[in-house]
Amino acid sequence: MARRYDSRTTIFSPEGRLYQVEYAIEAISHASSAVGILTKEGVVLAAEKKITSKLVEVSSKTEKMYQLADHLACAVAGITADANILINFSRVSSQQYLHKYQQPIPIEQLVQQVCDWKQYYTQIGGLRPFGVAFLYAGYDDYFKFQLYQSDPSGTYGGWKATAIGANNQSAQSTLKQEYRDDMSLDDALKLAIKVLSKTIDSTDLNANKLEIGTLTLDPVKGPRFQIFNENRINDLVQQCDIKSKRDDDDDDEDRNLLRSSGMTTK
Amino acid sequence: MSIMSHNGGAVIAMAGKNCVAIASDLRFGISIQTLACDFPKVFQMNERCFVGISGLTTDIQTVLAKLKFKWNMYKLNEEREMSPNVFANYFSTLLYEKRFGPYFTEPVIAGLNENNEPFLCSMDLIGASMTANDFVLAGTCNESLYGTCEAFWKPNLEPEELFETISQCLISSLDRDALCGWGAIVHVITPTEVISRKLKTRQD
Repeated sequence: MARRYDSRTTIFSPEGRLYQVEYAIEAISHASSAVGILTKEGVVLAAEKKITSKLVEVSSKTEKMYQLADHLACAVAGITADANILINFSRVSSQQYLHKYQQPIPIEQLVQQVCDWKQYYTQIGGLRPFGVAFLYAGYDDYFKFQLYQSDPSGTYGGWKATAIGANNQSAQSTLKQEYRDDMSLDDALKLAIKVLSKTIDSTDLNANKLEIGTLTLDPVKGPRFQIFNENRINDLVQQCDIKSKRDDDDDDEDRNLLRSSGMTTK
Repeated sequence: MSIMSHNGGAVIAMAGKNCVAIASDLRFGISIQTLACDFPKVFQMNERCFVGISGLTTDIQTVLAKLKFKWNMYKLNEEREMSPNVFANYFSTLLYEKRFGPYFTEPVIAGLNENNEPFLCSMDLIGASMTANDFVLAGTCNESLYGTCEAFWKPNLEPEELFETISQCLISSLDRDALCGWGAIVHVITPTEVISRKLKTRQD
């Protein structure tokens, strides 16, 4: 029954559904996961890298995360080629706003522009939708740090913590339990690693499988997006592992527990 | 009557030993009326690339906004910054695109390339560029500036000497031009730092 109504984006099914859009969303749930967490000190983006062969020549520093402007970055889940189009669009859009208003684009404005474009492809022209979901992390003077999620239908929402890609439901439920409004950036980093360790299929986490970035506010230079290098990620993973192992241990490890929770990351 | 001398202004850049200096006057005026004496015409793209733009002020501002746009896009797409000669070539292209309705700007680009060698370039309002290893300049007192620069410039000047030379050349010519002056700003760019100094000149 569905087959009669799903081959074109521009028609509804009898139940009032847009199958092509739903199929696009389905495509993303097979992509590697990405997590975003908002804190008062900044936004954390963490993503699972697809295991790459040793033969690959790395052309860009990152696979899942991209900087869109000085004050804006995104993590991607879905079809990479589609994502590249939208990333370029976002970058040009941000610069056009800067050119026009001599002010950095407010995050929500940029998210709306991308989503308007995504929606366009679900209604007009008979072209398929973009098979990409984004997590946008940014800082502007109006609402300070923000985290947004968008999907192929062009729907977006602001979040305190969210996940996209494979196993995003289990990631979301972990985030729901553990997220606190007053988390520090370090806490958020550890939580992101914890969430990814549950959603990624492999037994051990290291810098080869993870990509982590933070969007913070430098008091002098302004907002900046930093990608963690291998050493920093490995250090972070080690600290989290220590913490979770000790959580399972008995009370005579209490002193060690206190020490590890007071530790700050670099 | 010329559109290029409606607002007035002068920019100059010189090369020294592993350093460059770039300077401009600080006047902003409309015809005979001076409106501001804190309006520099030199802009920093990064620690190693500066651009000075003379000509019609509104076009200076517009062209600068376009340059910043392209600079940012290049940085995001290529994950590195434009080198000075790439930037100069881009500027030239930008100007020629408006060949039959140009931006009334004459820029001067000064920077240090990857090997810390000085790079100097100037161009006319439709993008005809010229690179030099001694000095480049543009502005309403350009003929006078050519004279002073030819007289005072010599190769391999150290940063401090370069500062003195460029300042003297600029001031001597500014003082004889009604549309330039009201102070000057000089940036000396070395591989380790950028030193910016304001000069006091005749306030007329």
